[in-house]
Amino acid sequence: MNRKPIRVLIAKPGLDGHESGAKVIARALADAGMEVVYTGTRQTPQMIVNAALQEDVDVVGLSILSGAHQELCSRIVSLFKQKRIEDIPIILGGIIPDGDVPKLKKMGIKEVFGPGTTTAQVVSCVHDLVRDKGQPPRRK
Amino acid sequence: MYDVDFLEELRARLTEWENTTLKERLTKTQENKTEFTSGSGEFVTDRIYTPLHAAGLNYNEDIGLPGQYPFTRGIDPVGYRAFRSPLGFYAGFGSGESANRRYRQLYAAGSRDIGLALDLPTQLGMDSDDPLAGGEVGKVGLAIDTPADLERALKGIPLSGLKTGTVGNCIGPWALALFLVLCERVHLQPSQMGIRLQNDPFKEYTGRGTFIFNPTVAVDFASDVVAHMYKCVPTWEPQWSCTTTMRWGGCTASQEVGFGIANLICYAEAAQAKGVKPEDYIPRVDLHMSSDNDLFEEVAKFRAVRRLWARIAEKRFKTRDPRILSLRISTYTAANRLTAQEPLNNIIRSTLHVLASMLAGIDHITAAAYDEALALPTFESARLASLTKHILNHENCIGYTVDPLAGSYYLESLTIQVEEKARHWYEQVEDMGGAKAAIDSGYYLKEMAKGQYQNQKEIESGERKVVGVNTFVLDKKVPIPLFKGDPKGEAKQIRRLNKIRQKRNKARATKGLDELSKTAEKKARGQEINIVPAMLEAVRGYATEGEIFAALRKVYGDYRPPAVF
Repeated sequence: MNRKPIRVLIAKPGLDGHESGAKVIARALADAGMEVVYTGTRQTPQMIVNAALQEDVDVVGLSILSGAHQELCSRIVSLFKQKRIEDIPIILGGIIPDGDVPKLKKMGIKEVFGPGTTTAQVVSCVHDLVRDKGQPPRRK
Repeated sequence: MYDVDFLEELRARLTEWENTTLKERLTKTQENKTEFTSGSGEFVTDRIYTPLHAAGLNYNEDIGLPGQYPFTRGIDPVGYRAFRSPLGFYAGFGSGESANRRYRQLYAAGSRDIGLALDLPTQLGMDSDDPLAGGEVGKVGLAIDTPADLERALKGIPLSGLKTGTVGNCIGPWALALFLVLCERVHLQPSQMGIRLQNDPFKEYTGRGTFIFNPTVAVDFASDVVAHMYKCVPTWEPQWSCTTTMRWGGCTASQEVGFGIANLICYAEAAQAKGVKPEDYIPRVDLHMSSDNDLFEEVAKFRAVRRLWARIAEKRFKTRDPRILSLRISTYTAANRLTAQEPLNNIIRSTLHVLASMLAGIDHITAAAYDEALALPTFESARLASLTKHILNHENCIGYTVDPLAGSYYLESLTIQVEEKARHWYEQVEDMGGAKAAIDSGYYLKEMAKGQYQNQKEIESGERKVVGVNTFVLDKKVPIPLFKGDPKGEAKQIRRLNKIRQKRNKARATKGLDELSKTAEKKARGQEINIVPAMLEAVRGYATEGEIFAALRKVYGDYRPPAVF
């Protein structure tokens, strides 16, 4: 079966400019055969939603280290909902206190990765998420 | 350094040792690895070092004496024997009141050196109610929109004799204006307090990402700060050129040296073009470096950077003036090596990072707090970090002699290796047109991304062991008390900002902004004019930070870097 490669958007919302983690993940996903689009820093929720649609990605990965994850994720998730986009799972990585994880998951973030995560864990999570939704048809 | 016959004899003896003593030992058990490499992975570490490794050294030319060319052994002839480092802190969060509480606590505990951490909107020239600032106000530092916020943050703290400053790098002219206006408002002679501005825009393109304008405009503004400060308060420190975040982002030890020198040369020449001579600039700035895991490689790195700087600056500025050739170094310990797993282990890591700096005679050391991988430091963790160097100084006799590791065959050999490789990196950057070109072309970012990915792969494969992460792993979390911010700070700060917008003299604020725009336009047309005086007028008139930078953004546009990974 000639499957299309998985497409992932790695995005840095908010004003935090620490992008080493995002870049390492982007590179690891690319090494695992996925097509990765990296937005660069300082993305608004609107820019991220637009990029996800335009690039027709299967999964969105957010990276936040500034502590603003609650506010930013809630804005991004609700914008996805507003646009009735329900088939693009969102995952998050960064400095996220354990206590915040349940709230983020309840909000709709599929997985939260903290320090010490291996790139292999992220790669396999993306595979699982895509498999779970059974490779939906591309929107364009 | 040694005579030829002695070296011949030693070489023969070494071969004999390998064939007998060593061979016999290795028949029992093998070494843990077939090849050992230095912490940054760039140098192969030999089993033993002997005079053969240092044979090419010329003591007088390459090592010399502290306080003299080539400054390998330090720029101060007495080093830590005259150590009077203050109990320094870098702190800030929330709106003025919560930061003020921490600053008072630090002051009461004896600190007279308190750096102000600013939140991201403030570092980016945005007001707290900017649509992009949502969620970020007061998160990683203090929110400042107008001089009133700075006053509130420092309320009740005697400013005379206090040393403070910010690391806002792309807002240098505004930060300088803020402190000058603060002095005016409390009727203090600026020279009675100490101000230390990081004012290093290069750091933002390569590290934290809070850039605003393109590198050429940013360097122009940064050197305006240098020139204005030199004219009006020459005792303040106008710039510290940082390699910390480049190292944390993936640079090797020798890249940190080579790139750091290229960056500093660029700043020194920008200052020179505005009338601040190198002999007046270099003594007021420092190269701010990381202090990483491999203690010996780091000591070699610090010795190598002093020597290489002396050699390069001698040619570049055609001088033997020690004020120019002796480079002051400050360090921030390697926050990137701290782990979120078993955070108490980080106390040991930071202590050794401080030790490396002290063994190399670093002038100003800041230790990362053990909880930094998880949150902003608590008062207790920040105090513990700051006390590290004082414990080593008072209780462990580290500073009794200057450059204690000099003459070690290993260390001298490593110092040569770092210097040689660093010179290569420096030349690479110069060949492409200097530091600005290395940023514009994405060269620095690509080198860093390479190193960072390599580091992550090594940790995942187990080739690089990190205790608590990939070896001696504990299967439960070790909880520590973590700092918690003020969730209501953002709304409070926005209310306050709106009140100021209503209360201020509107005509004066508008006039200040108009003048600032005109000055910026003149600058953009190539006229030689310093931005700081116009900035001062705008700040005095209570134009908000966001309004000030919106005016400048209109002239210069926003910079977008290449998104490479």
